[in-house]
Amino acid sequence: MNQEASVGRAAPLAAKSEPQVVLDGVGKSFGTAARARTEVLRDMSLEVREGEFVSLLGPSGCGKTTVLRLVDGLLAPDAGRVTVFGGDPTPGPELGFVFQSFRLIPWFTVRGNVEFALAPTGLSRAEKRERAERYIELVGLRRFAEAHPHELSGGMSQRVALARALVTEPRVLLMDEPFASIDAQTRELMQAELMRLWSSSGATVLFVTHSVDEAILLSDRIALMGPRPGRVLENIEVEGLPRPRWSYDVRSRPEFVDLRRRLWERIRQLVLEDPESDFFGRGTSREAQ
Amino acid sequence: MIVAFRVGFLILLIGLWQVLSQNVSRNLIPSPLETWAAFRRMLADNSLFEALGESLVVYLSGYSTACIVAIAIGLVMGTIRPVGKTLEVYAFALAATPRVAFIPLIIVFLGLGFEAKVFVVFLGAVMPILVNTYAGVLATDQNLNEMARSLGVSRPRIFASIVLPGAVPFIVVGLRIGATIGLINTVVAELYTAVGGLGGLLARYGNTFRMADYFVIVLSLAAIGVAVTETLRYLELRLNRWRGPN
Ligand SMILES: Nc1ncnc2c1ncn2[C@@H]1O[C@H](COP(=O)(O)OP(=O)(O)OP(=O)(O)O)[C@@H](O)[C@H]1O
Ligand SMILES: [Mg+2]
Repeated sequence: MNQEASVGRAAPLAAKSEPQVVLDGVGKSFGTAARARTEVLRDMSLEVREGEFVSLLGPSGCGKTTVLRLVDGLLAPDAGRVTVFGGDPTPGPELGFVFQSFRLIPWFTVRGNVEFALAPTGLSRAEKRERAERYIELVGLRRFAEAHPHELSGGMSQRVALARALVTEPRVLLMDEPFASIDAQTRELMQAELMRLWSSSGATVLFVTHSVDEAILLSDRIALMGPRPGRVLENIEVEGLPRPRWSYDVRSRPEFVDLRRRLWERIRQLVLEDPESDFFGRGTSREAQ
Repeated sequence: MIVAFRVGFLILLIGLWQVLSQNVSRNLIPSPLETWAAFRRMLADNSLFEALGESLVVYLSGYSTACIVAIAIGLVMGTIRPVGKTLEVYAFALAATPRVAFIPLIIVFLGLGFEAKVFVVFLGAVMPILVNTYAGVLATDQNLNEMARSLGVSRPRIFASIVLPGAVPFIVVGLRIGATIGLINTVVAELYTAVGGLGGLLARYGNTFRMADYFVIVLSLAAIGVAVTETLRYLELRLNRWRGPN
């Protein structure tokens, strides 16, 4: 499916014009009243076009997960507006969510977990089963369809979570550090698999990661977020790395190396300038503000 | 293997019992053989089965009613938060009150008959089941809950697939505690209201120092306790089969 998939994605540019996910001046705080109130996002704006792969990159606690929950409609913003498909976001089959932890239902089998996502769809029992089967196969877990989550490794669990998010064939896929807790080898394979899936489905992806390399490898664009209260400080287009990126060694390309250095420099600067950071004020800031 | 150890331990207990019966004044502790003879006698004249039947009907009526009512109320309290927050103070207060204290009141309202006994059993068993069910619903994994919401799964479906199965281990604990207190209250009810059933025999044989017969009743009560808790354990294993053997 790999070669065809990349060809199948023939007209991405035409489709890429419409903003599908829009955050406009969004603010969000947690906690009640003055006591223990944390302002997580302030004036956060972001646009993701249809079919685009955008990574949110930023320090821990800057509100990346919160952004995904807002986009999914699990949370409502305190200020500003979140628009998905031109309206208010509603959780459902159109929006796929891969959570930071796997969140598999322990008393369901792999198949049961994947089929669970199809509950709100109007599909018949047979169709649900067939569809679940296909996505379990896709993530390479056919032999484990009847296994329970406690019998799976971390990498396998993550693949089930991925199958569950994909099985509804969502138009927008929200992914929260999906590969953070799996081993390096599995991660590489999963990244390649995700790129294939994405290129054949044409879904819009909003991808949260801590890893600069991962962000560059996967994304069309990287939205760099600053420390809490978080907002997008900079949008960085990933240029000069043609797709499909699984067909060559992306990491050895000078464009990759350059971008990597630039991003690291920015992040270093952000951390050193953040008064709340443990590293505040250490080292000399190379660029005068 | 474990079965062999259990049988071995039982033999040890009976041996110990034999030794005790020979060393303590004979009138207080009957020997195992005397008890066995008493058991045969009570089987023959049908008195044991009659009493056992009477007690079991009281026990199971009260206990099963308690199960249904407590699980239903516990689930409602856990699912509809305002209801839970309103009632929980009263539930905890009632759960902490020794419910034997209500017996005189129950007698005033329900008399000394079957209903009164069933109600005493019900009252003993209902609170632990209710409080545990409530706690089980509140302990719902919020991550799973959010995952299901994000999929757009309906509330009834979330309840059936996530909340209820998650609460099962709590509910089973409640059922077990309730079963024990229910059994105790069966005997208490039979002693305090119209004397009857195993509790009645216990009182009669105890007061007349027919110790062999008395022991038969005590052991019958223990057997009921074992039967009920083993049934619940089996139920628990069945419900937890997804965990696999470990
Ligand atoms: N439901 C909540 N109630 C209270 N505080 C919350 C809640 N959710 C998030 N927060 C706080 O908001 C801040 C941002 O959380 P968020 O999970 O969005 O960060 P993140 O960027 O995803 O972090 P990480 O990279 O560590 O996953 C954190 O300080 C967190 O403690
Ligand atoms: Mg996060």
